[in-house]
Amino acid sequence: MASVAAWLPFARAAAIGWVPIATHPLPPPPISKDRRKSEDEKLLINVSGRRFETWRNTLEKYPDTLLGSNEREFFYDEDSKQYFFDRDPDIFRHILNYYRTGKLHYPKHECLTSYEEELAFFGILSDVIGDCCFEDYKDRKRENSERLMDDKLSENGDNQNLQQLTNIRQKMWRSFENPHTSTSALVFYYVTGFFIAVSVMANVIETVSCGIKPGRSGTLPCGERYKIVFFCLDTACVMIFTAEYLLRLFAAPDRCKFMRSVMSIIDVVAIMPYYIGLGITDNDDVSGAFVTLRVFRVFRIFKFSRHSQGLRILGYTLKSCASELGFLVFSLAMAIIIFATVMFYAEKNVEGTNFTSIPAAFWYTIVTMTTLGYGDMVPKTIAGKIVGGVCSLSGVLVIALPVPVIVSNFSRIYHQNQRADKRKAQRKARLARIRIAKASSGAAFVSKKKAAEARLAAQESGLEVDENYREEDIFELQHHHLLRCLEKTTDREFVEMEVPYNGQPKRPGSPSPMASPTHSTASNTGLLQACCGRCCGQRYQSIPFLATSPGKDKVVLVYQDKIEVRTKKQHHRGATPDTGGQEEEMNDVRSASEAVSRASLNQAAKPNSTTSTASVVVNLPSSYPASEVLDGSGTGPHQHPPPPPQQQQAEAPADGKQQSVVRISTL
Amino acid sequence: MDKINDLDLEDLNYQLPRRHRTEELAKLANSTKFTRKEIQLIYRGFKQECPTGLVDEDNFKAIFSQFFPQGDASQYAHYVFNTIKQGQNNGKIGFEDFLNILSRVSRGTVQEKLQWIFGLYDLNGDGLITQAEMLDVVNSIYDMLGRNTEPQVETTSAKEHVEKIFHQIDTNKDGVVTIEELVDWCLQDEKIVQSLEMLDTVL
Repeated sequence: MASVAAWLPFARAAAIGWVPIATHPLPPPPISKDRRKSEDEKLLINVSGRRFETWRNTLEKYPDTLLGSNEREFFYDEDSKQYFFDRDPDIFRHILNYYRTGKLHYPKHECLTSYEEELAFFGILSDVIGDCCFEDYKDRKRENSERLMDDKLSENGDNQNLQQLTNIRQKMWRSFENPHTSTSALVFYYVTGFFIAVSVMANVIETVSCGIKPGRSGTLPCGERYKIVFFCLDTACVMIFTAEYLLRLFAAPDRCKFMRSVMSIIDVVAIMPYYIGLGITDNDDVSGAFVTLRVFRVFRIFKFSRHSQGLRILGYTLKSCASELGFLVFSLAMAIIIFATVMFYAEKNVEGTNFTSIPAAFWYTIVTMTTLGYGDMVPKTIAGKIVGGVCSLSGVLVIALPVPVIVSNFSRIYHQNQRADKRKAQRKARLARIRIAKASSGAAFVSKKKAAEARLAAQESGLEVDENYREEDIFELQHHHLLRCLEKTTDREFVEMEVPYNGQPKRPGSPSPMASPTHSTASNTGLLQACCGRCCGQRYQSIPFLATSPGKDKVVLVYQDKIEVRTKKQHHRGATPDTGGQEEEMNDVRSASEAVSRASLNQAAKPNSTTSTASVVVNLPSSYPASEVLDGSGTGPHQHPPPPPQQQQAEAPADGKQQSVVRISTL
Repeated sequence: MDKINDLDLEDLNYQLPRRHRTEELAKLANSTKFTRKEIQLIYRGFKQECPTGLVDEDNFKAIFSQFFPQGDASQYAHYVFNTIKQGQNNGKIGFEDFLNILSRVSRGTVQEKLQWIFGLYDLNGDGLITQAEMLDVVNSIYDMLGRNTEPQVETTSAKEHVEKIFHQIDTNKDGVVTIEELVDWCLQDEKIVQSLEMLDTVL
């Protein structure tokens, strides 16, 4: 990527650190010091009459967009020496700013659809919109979702943790916390929910009257009548709850923290009465206490809060609105005391009055302030009635004040919660897409580098060069050289990676694609042209390979002191008649390379030792076919040139596709 | 989700934000080995990436990583960053420091270059390179390759590499490499001296 070209000198300077440890000496730089390129030029871009000017390097920061790649040449106007685009100039301003500053902003006053169209035209992913504008952009897009094809929102619900969990404890904990992760977790979730419901219903139905008590007056509650049934039901529920609690306790990463958490306390409170009841004998003294304990069974209903997010949020809201609630309670208490006191003294002298004491008047005040008005206590004096009236009016006011605050808090928290989940999922997807785009542009760069090296080799050997091809950018060349130095230092070399449609980059398969040494197929089509359709709409620079007209195949051999290019005649292509004695040359190639086996590459070459021959075989990919064709001619990982018949065979499947692989290996 | 009133932090900050002022172009052209035109070009790129005129380490790592698209250059960038003296700008480097280092390393004498290399490998600055330090740096170099190489990078590749090289450089076998040993090692091999010249850039 020829981005930040001005930092390249520094990156290259920093590479000096590799020199002492390099396994091979570094290759010479591509440009001698005498040859200097002309200054970076300014490009003129005319967008519907509005002129923009920028440096060429600015545009080439992002080579997989329209402006950064060769695609802009389609819009070049020879007469006026400028690039003309018949698009919206207002939106173009933002696009150009993206190149300049690296941040893409979304103008709020623009229509979303037109903005997206411009982005698509210029080949920019909308994921690179900066964080400052991204929320707004997304909101607008959501509003437009009926009109646009909105498949990004379907990537929601990505809360699943994909990390590898090592032990069963973690797996269990995760399935407890997140029931949607696996089927068994979901089953467990629903089963416990069902039993909570059953238990609560049983508690309720127990108290319904089921008939008349035999031999006594009064009705018999169902709990008494079907004692055994209810007891069995209760036992079953408690077993389930106990098991659940113990499992959660086992799986919890921090047991002390778990035991102190609200949910576990509720769990304990829900099952304790049963065990205590088992312990207590049927004694009349304690049976009163036993009955009281049964009240706690109703807390089982709180176990539902694990199943309902809304309930949890309600609980959280109440907790966070504690100060408002506190204010409510405090002001109510104040008002109650005041009014109760006044009422008491007002009604004190009435005979048979209900207002026997101030605390007794509390009940009246509460009932009045909340506008319930049971009517069990009523003032009889005029003063009492006046006070009663004032009391009910002020009650309405005092209660109405904090309620909206609580409601708005609840609403805010609830929506925030919803949005946070959604945003998390979207962010993950976004980052993944950006990462894939970056990976594929990295791959494109490596391929470009190899193509450039091949071209250089061909050039130096004196072959005709396609003059239509423009001169390689000086920074590109030096950047390639930098990567070559890295290869030499570590005795490795870059290979292109496959970036198939699903975006997962994978390496070419282990039978490495360097079996066939020889055909560097020239093709007029761009280097990665076929890729464009495959790889998620990414654009790559099309690098027309120049060396010769199609059909000519060459073997490029780079020795340590010279570079040779031999041509090899392909039978099933109309090869241009070249030097005679091609067969001998082929044999030469074969023998020369057989003599040096690939295995020696893996030997640690001492930096000082000079290898006798360095054989470089250059093949060029002209297209990115499916991976099987890429490895198609794999005759074993590291074997050097197979004999020609095998070669022909290997090439036959590749015929229509004209594929081969760039390999530059030093032996 | 708290109800804390976020005071505007800007209002509480009483310090006047100072703009970093870079040295004059003429002075830089005199003190470094670059021509005016070259400095102009470099500065434009520098300022484009760092509008404030100061590079901090994260920025530096991001820029450096752009040159090695397939691997992870952040650790090597970290070591390089540490070799640039940071002066009074609390962890950030200004253009003068940047240009000074650039001039010394890409166009300086062999001695200057070797000195910088020594500084790069000597992570703790004690004047000696241990095998562990060299291993760290070499690991970071191998990280820059990424996964798509032939042959692939193993976890032991760097270790093997270091073991081979370290013994050769450490001539007196005391387990550490001094600057003299490094200089001797590099000077006695003509190819290394040549390689040092390969990494200048034409602007």
